[in-house]
Amino acid sequence: MDCADCLERLYAYLDRELRPAEVTEVRAHLDDCGGCEENFVIEERFLARVRDCHTEDKAPSALRTRIVTRLRMERDAPR
Amino acid sequence: MASDPFETEALSFLDALYRTGLRMTRSEAEAEDLVQETYIRAFRFRDQFTPGTNLKAWLFRILTNTFINQYRRKATRPDTTELDDVEESILYNRMRDVSPGSSSPDPEAELIDNTLSSEVKDALEALPEKFRTTLLLDVEGFSYKEIAQMLDIPIGTVMSRLHRGRKFMQKRLYDLARDRGIAAARAMPRPAD
Repeated sequence: MDCADCLERLYAYLDRELRPAEVTEVRAHLDDCGGCEENFVIEERFLARVRDCHTEDKAPSALRTRIVTRLRMERDAPR
Repeated sequence: MASDPFETEALSFLDALYRTGLRMTRSEAEAEDLVQETYIRAFRFRDQFTPGTNLKAWLFRILTNTFINQYRRKATRPDTTELDDVEESILYNRMRDVSPGSSSPDPEAELIDNTLSSEVKDALEALPEKFRTTLLLDVEGFSYKEIAQMLDIPIGTVMSRLHRGRKFMQKRLYDLARDRGIAAARAMPRPAD
């Protein structure tokens, strides 16, 4: 596997979408190639940061209450 | 009152549905409406859900369809549908330009870590809707195949949107950091002549 192949598969590798054989190939290339390994580390860090920032938002507690109340109304409404 | 396992499990995804709705609508009020509507539909059509299958995916499909049908129509902000192709490996190739003379051994990590959470979220929300939705579903943990099914698109399109969407976000964060670096450079006191 050369650098171009590795780069092409990097996101799929990070997203855990590669077949086991391809995972092994990518990992082997990353072990041997400092440039691609650096690239991998940056992309992994970037994806983790996006995930952390997005998932810090929580639903307002009033929304939960409102939804539960509304669902009760729906359930208890005459059919 | 007897507990309803379906309701309990569905409500366990409230935070995830809300934050995704927030990125989609870019408005707290609209996100709340969208999520409430999603739950109402989920309960009205609960017979269509097969117990034991992926409830999270089922709920997110409802959220996404509700958004596409109701909110896309009344979007007040113009939404470009395509992304210009962004140079490969933006972060990796150009990070060192961001802070010339920086003593940081890892300017890329510094950029990623120093970007404000609000800036990351803004970058997500700046994505055209199709790319944003795809990225959000990925961030929420769905597989390429699940995303493809939920959005009714080929897996190749999922991968392409993820790739281009991520590069778009990286360029945006890079530009922010560069502008910040320029601003910082300008603000620094000049050495005495």
